[in-house]
Amino acid sequence: MIETKRLTKHYGNLTALVDLDLVIEAGDIFGFIGPNGAGKTTTMRILVTLLEPSSGQAFIDGLDITKKGKEVRRMVGYMPDFMGIYDDLKVFEYLEFFAAAFSIEHKKRKSIVEGVLELTDLQSKGSFTVDSLSRGMQQRLGLARVLIHDPKVLVLDEPASGLDPRARIEIRELLRELKRMGKTIMISSHILSELEEICDHIGIIEQGRLVFSGTMEEIRQRMGVQSKVRVQVANNQQRAIELLSALPEVQDVQSTGRYIAVTLDKDQNTDGIIARVLVNGDIDIVSLEPQQVKLDEAFLQLTKGIVH
Amino acid sequence: MAGEVPIPAKYILVPLFKIMTTALINFVSKFLSLSWLTGPIFDKELRVSSRRRRNYVLRFTYLVLLTTFLVFVWLEEVRYLGSAVYRISRMARAGQTITFFIVWFQFCATQLIAIIMLSTSISDEIDNCTLGLLMTTPINSFQIVMGKLFSKLLQIILLLAISLPLLAIVRIFGGVPWDYIISSLCITLAALIFVSSLSMFFSIYFRKAYVVIIVTILSLGLLFALLPFLCFMMFKDMMSDDDKLISIIFQANPYGIMMFNTMVMDNPRNLGTIFFSWPLHCAIMLVSSGVLLLVSIIKVRKVALCQATGQLDRFFRKKPTNGAIESRPNTSAIRPVGKLAFLWKELRSPLFGRSKTTAILVISIPLILLLLTYVLIANENVLDDQDVQASYLAILGCIGMLFAIVLPATCITSEKESRCWPLILTTTLSDWQILLGKIIGSLRRCAPAWFLMFGHLIVFTLIGFIHPIALIHIPVLVAWIIVFFLGTGVYFSSRFKHTTTAVIMNFTFAAVIWGLVPLLMLLYAAMTRTSDNYVERYMNINPLFQGAVVLDGTCGRRRALRSVTKLRYHWARGNENALESTGFLLSSMLGYMLIGSLFAWRAKCRFRRNIF
Repeated sequence: MIETKRLTKHYGNLTALVDLDLVIEAGDIFGFIGPNGAGKTTTMRILVTLLEPSSGQAFIDGLDITKKGKEVRRMVGYMPDFMGIYDDLKVFEYLEFFAAAFSIEHKKRKSIVEGVLELTDLQSKGSFTVDSLSRGMQQRLGLARVLIHDPKVLVLDEPASGLDPRARIEIRELLRELKRMGKTIMISSHILSELEEICDHIGIIEQGRLVFSGTMEEIRQRMGVQSKVRVQVANNQQRAIELLSALPEVQDVQSTGRYIAVTLDKDQNTDGIIARVLVNGDIDIVSLEPQQVKLDEAFLQLTKGIVH
Repeated sequence: MAGEVPIPAKYILVPLFKIMTTALINFVSKFLSLSWLTGPIFDKELRVSSRRRRNYVLRFTYLVLLTTFLVFVWLEEVRYLGSAVYRISRMARAGQTITFFIVWFQFCATQLIAIIMLSTSISDEIDNCTLGLLMTTPINSFQIVMGKLFSKLLQIILLLAISLPLLAIVRIFGGVPWDYIISSLCITLAALIFVSSLSMFFSIYFRKAYVVIIVTILSLGLLFALLPFLCFMMFKDMMSDDDKLISIIFQANPYGIMMFNTMVMDNPRNLGTIFFSWPLHCAIMLVSSGVLLLVSIIKVRKVALCQATGQLDRFFRKKPTNGAIESRPNTSAIRPVGKLAFLWKELRSPLFGRSKTTAILVISIPLILLLLTYVLIANENVLDDQDVQASYLAILGCIGMLFAIVLPATCITSEKESRCWPLILTTTLSDWQILLGKIIGSLRRCAPAWFLMFGHLIVFTLIGFIHPIALIHIPVLVAWIIVFFLGTGVYFSSRFKHTTTAVIMNFTFAAVIWGLVPLLMLLYAAMTRTSDNYVERYMNINPLFQGAVVLDGTCGRRRALRSVTKLRYHWARGNENALESTGFLLSSMLGYMLIGSLFAWRAKCRFRRNIF
């Protein structure tokens, strides 16, 4: 659905994007992460036709964004990392205005606006002026605006920034709902744990270059990360550490208070090996939890923290 | 106690003396350093302004303009003086003229610069949320206000200082006493402090710099032109001596005092029995500035505390914004969006502010003041006078022109500032639709400013004080002024990021093409000693000149009663009748409209550049 080929953008002497090749399949939620100034927002702005690339190409549903700007805009909903507010408009008018701006027929507008208000749980706020809404409500209104013309692709630049935990959870649920509706979503965020939960694919960008693109599983494989297990035993923790350390599959064993952190070689059947050894050694197991590689760990390993 | 040895006095007094001396020195040095007055704000402002390129450009431009004008005045003075001996004998007169010019240039230019410089002094701090932050430090509102004021004043006083060597050189020619230069400088400084305080005061209430600039200029017009005029008209019957009344009214009027000062310098008998004292005037202006600053200090403290506690909207009496819990819905009806979305949005914005009270005040106050002037002038039986009618139309026309220059220049920058511009550009609206919406929206917002002038024109044409042909000529003139400034305004608005820059550029553009260019032409003619006919021809396309010619040809009862064929228009190229003048006005209208349209088209081409 979204494709970029050797996409490059220069701002004077500064190169914001370098030969960015990106492919996002239809119906995916693509998490776009990177340090500040890495080029995420620039990429998004190019995709929504707000910026022209210095070189390279970008396509939305096969349409070249530089040649078919109007058609692309009809297909894409863009939510920037700031909320544009007309402070003299009411919520309903604000949405209706954007519906009209997207050439939606006069007769259909009311029902469409009511629909997106319901979807974003803003039905009761229709007659409030936009600037009287709280930050969370404004973010929801931003999402409602993005959905007003029923775009196939949503480009969301940090939609959850500055929101309280409840509002973040609500936005997350809303994104899942949109995915179920078949939308392709490109989303950037600094809250990596949230992206991890909702995204099918992750793209990591640094200094304008895509350093990784793939699923979470592919991230783990790419990083060559070992499996980790956290074990809690009822008795004789020292004996348990000795037993586990003796195992050839185990790379490292460390005591972390009540728990034992065990690092195994990649692709080992961790649960079976550890449980068998401990039970054979007459040690009672309280808990045994395989540990997933977190996105933030992967992010830290894949990026160098260098910004332009 | 009996066994204790008394401590010698020197062991107590000497350290005590040292401590007191150190304390005194510290106090005096702190007092002299003025840090108690301005706090670190002054240093910060100076540091920031020294890094801004525009301040160096401003100094350069000021100096270039001053020098250009001076060369022009000098060449004009020595142009017809004949032999070298005669020329030397007339140097004193030339020196006097040049001094008058420098003094007036400084007086006007520094005030304009002060208004612009201080128009964002407090509003910037509010917008950047730093005012509330400052309240969490030991800095107080007194230091904030004084720091801001003095840092800007220092830069403007530097501009005044730039011209001092010139004044000193001119004194060599003779004919200019020091006391004139000193009194003029004092009057200029006092006016500068007052104008700066006024601009700063308004910057607390208005967040947009261009609004502060307009409100300050209108307030100065009200305080130093309209009010003195009304006072004079109302009280002239009560006092037998007009000069005495003028002396009283103008004592607090910097423009009047400066004029008197110059007149006295030119010829002490010029003023007759009118009395004026520049030290008294300066004292009045400084006290007035002090009062304004005091109110500003109180208000700044209030707004800063509101910001620090997240209640800024209470100060501006708005509904709660970000982060606040929504209180209740706005009960006014939701208006359905029309077919042309952008046009609907532009036309939906309230014309005279959101509240009814503001709208009533904005409409009623100018109307009442205007009616009051009609009554007072009618009482003198001079309402049918040519100069009176021409003055009315000129003043009301200038107000309309002010709005025509300012409002179009805000149309896109305000979208950029509210961060809605990228949202608009990601819709399927075409650039032409956006341009059309912006043009019609700006036209609508400009319209009320012209209502007063057209109301006056229609009423007094019907009464018979203005010739009916003016109903054709003046609308033609106004039409091109509006279209031209719409084009340039929209262009500058799409070109720049900030509203203030766009507004200033639109003003500067007008000043350059109708002020600086003819001046440079005159300068060239004077230097090359060639004919300046082409300058006069160029003046014919100046809107102020066109306005003056039309008003001169059509205003007053005597002219209103003439037939169209007997009307005469005094253009720079010679006298013309009404038909020829109509043709000329229409052709210049077409020209300017074409140029305005070209600017609008260029604006459209730039829509998708400088978006953020």
